[in-house]
Amino acid sequence: MKLKRYLRLLGVQLKASGLLALQYRADFLAEGLSSVAWTFTALAPLFVVFGDRPSLEGWSFHESLLVVGWFTLLQGVLEGAISPSLTGVVEHIRKGTLDFVLLKPADAQFLVSTQRFLPWRAMNVLSGIGLFTYAFVSLGRWPSFPGLLASLVLLGTSVLLLYSLWILVVSAAFFVVKVDNLTYLFTSIFDAARWPSSVFRGALAMVFTFVIPLALMTTFPALAMLGRLPWTWLVGAVAGSVVFAWVARRVWLLSIRHYTSASS
Amino acid sequence: MISVRGLRKHYQVHKRPPGLKAALRSLVHRSYTSVKAVDGISFDIKPGERVGFLGPNGAGKTTTLKVLAGLLHPSEGEVTVDGHVPKVREEAFLKKIMLVMGQKQQLLWDLPAAETFELNRAIYDVPRLQYKQTLDELVSLLELEDLIQKPVRQLSLGERMKCELAAALIHRPRVLFLDEPTIGLDVSMQVTMRNFIKAYNETTGATLILTSHYMDDVAALCPRVIVIDKGQLSYDGSLDALVQRVRPEKRVVLRLARPVDAAVLASLGRVVSHEAGTAVLQVQQDAVSATVGQALSSLPVTDLTVENAPLEEVMSELFQEGKARRAEAARETVSA
Repeated sequence: MKLKRYLRLLGVQLKASGLLALQYRADFLAEGLSSVAWTFTALAPLFVVFGDRPSLEGWSFHESLLVVGWFTLLQGVLEGAISPSLTGVVEHIRKGTLDFVLLKPADAQFLVSTQRFLPWRAMNVLSGIGLFTYAFVSLGRWPSFPGLLASLVLLGTSVLLLYSLWILVVSAAFFVVKVDNLTYLFTSIFDAARWPSSVFRGALAMVFTFVIPLALMTTFPALAMLGRLPWTWLVGAVAGSVVFAWVARRVWLLSIRHYTSASS
Repeated sequence: MISVRGLRKHYQVHKRPPGLKAALRSLVHRSYTSVKAVDGISFDIKPGERVGFLGPNGAGKTTTLKVLAGLLHPSEGEVTVDGHVPKVREEAFLKKIMLVMGQKQQLLWDLPAAETFELNRAIYDVPRLQYKQTLDELVSLLELEDLIQKPVRQLSLGERMKCELAAALIHRPRVLFLDEPTIGLDVSMQVTMRNFIKAYNETTGATLILTSHYMDDVAALCPRVIVIDKGQLSYDGSLDALVQRVRPEKRVVLRLARPVDAAVLASLGRVVSHEAGTAVLQVQQDAVSATVGQALSSLPVTDLTVENAPLEEVMSELFQEGKARRAEAARETVSA
C-alpha cells in the first residue's frame, strides 16, 4: 500500500520534471546537445593513456572501455537523477524553503530526492550501453549470463552508494549551511571512477575502496561482465552498500532535527 | 486544539565583529552565543479560534509558529496540536495542518500553479472528487480562473499569493498557520485575502493562527491576540481589552464647519492633531460624554466620532513599555 503510494508520488514528481524540461524550448535542445558532446569528451583521456601502451595494470584498452562505460552510465544516473534534486536541497536549506518539504505528509528524504530529474542525461546511460557493446564486439566475445546478472546487481549497489554518498554530503548542509564546494569536490572525486581501480595504489586505493567506494561502483561491474569478479566481492559489495545506505539514512534523520529554517 | 506549556527555543548563533581580520580569525576560532528566540511561553487555543500573534520583529512569533507546525524542535517544553506532538511529524498530523508564509513560496516557479495543486493532491492523497470540489471553490472565491494556467513567474505578487493560499488549502487543513500572509500586497488585495481567510475559518471551522505587521489584518481577523516580546508572552486576551489596558483614553474626532481657536480645543482635552476642518482630541474614558456634550454645544461641529487610538500606536506603546521594563530589570541586576 505504502509502496504503491510512493510509486504514484514518484510518477507525479517525474511528470513535473518532464514538464519543467519542456517548459523552455531552447534550454531543452541545448541540454540535449551538451549531453551528447559530454559523452564523447569523457572518452578522450582514455585515448591519450592507451595511445602508446597495450595495457594498463592488467587491463587492455577494450577492457578499460567497460570501466568507462560504467562510469558514463553512472554519470548519467548521478547527473540525471541524483544530483539535480539534491543540489536543490542545499538551496532549500540555505533559503529556508525546505519548510515546505518538511510540511508535507510524505517522507522528506523521498520528496527531496525525487524533486528534479534531467531527462536528457539518459543519453549518458545509452552511451554507456553503446560502449559495452563496442567493447565486447572488439574483444570478440560476450559476457556470460551469470556475469551479466552480477553486473546488474552491482548497478543497483552502485546507484545506492552514489545516492547515499550524496545524502551524506547534503546532510552536512544542515550543519554548515553552504556546501557548494563540498558538492564540487564530490563530483571531481567521482571523476577518478573512470579508471580501473587497480591503477590507484596505497592510501588512495584504500580511500577509493572503503571511504568513497569508487572501485565498487565502476571496476566491480566491469570485472563481473568479464567474469573475473570473485563472488565474495559481489557479496561484499551488496552488504557494503546496504550498510552505507543505512548509515546515510540515520545521518539524514539526525540532520533534519538540526534544521533551523531561515527567519522571515 | 493547541496546547503549549513552557515552550523554549534557543539557538546557537555564530557571532563575529565586522572586518576582514575578524572574518579570518573566525575561520579558525568561532565564538557562539545562545539566542533565546522563545523563552518559556504557555497558552491554549480552542478549535475554530482565530488568534493573532503580535510582537516586534524578532520577537519569536515565527519561531513559535514553526514549532507548532513541526518544523523546529523545541529546546524545552511541551507542545500538542490536535493530540499530536508536532516534532514527530506524523503523516496524520501533517495532513491536518498547513503553514502559509508570505515571504516564501511553495509554488513551482517555472510551471503553472495548477501543476503544484496537482502535486499537492497526490502528496496529500486527496480523492479526485473532493479535489475537484475544493479547487472549484477556491478558484471561484479567489478569482483564479485566468491565473492557474499561467507560469507562476509571470504572476504579480498578489496573484501569486492567492495561488499560494489555494495550494495550501487543497487538503482542507484543520489548523492553518499564517505567517504574514498579506505582506507586500496592495490594500484591496489585503482585503480580499482577509475576507477569504475569515470565510475559510467560518465555513470549515478550522483553527487559525496569524502573524502580521498590518494591524488591520489582526483587527479584522483575530478576536484574540497573544503578544510575544523578546520570546516571552506579555499579553493573552481580547484585542479590545488590550487596547483598553494600554490606551484607556478615547479619541474624539471633530469635523468643523469653520476654523476654531486652538486654545478652545485644548480646554476640552489633549489635542492630538488639528488641521483645517478636522480636530482630534484625546480624553479620559469617563470624560467622553461630557466632552462630546461640550463640543456639540460650543463648537461648529458638522460630524463627530469617538474612536480607540490606532492599533499601531497601541502596539508601539506596548513594545516601548516592554523595552523600558527590561532595561529597568537589567539595571536592577547590575546594581544588585
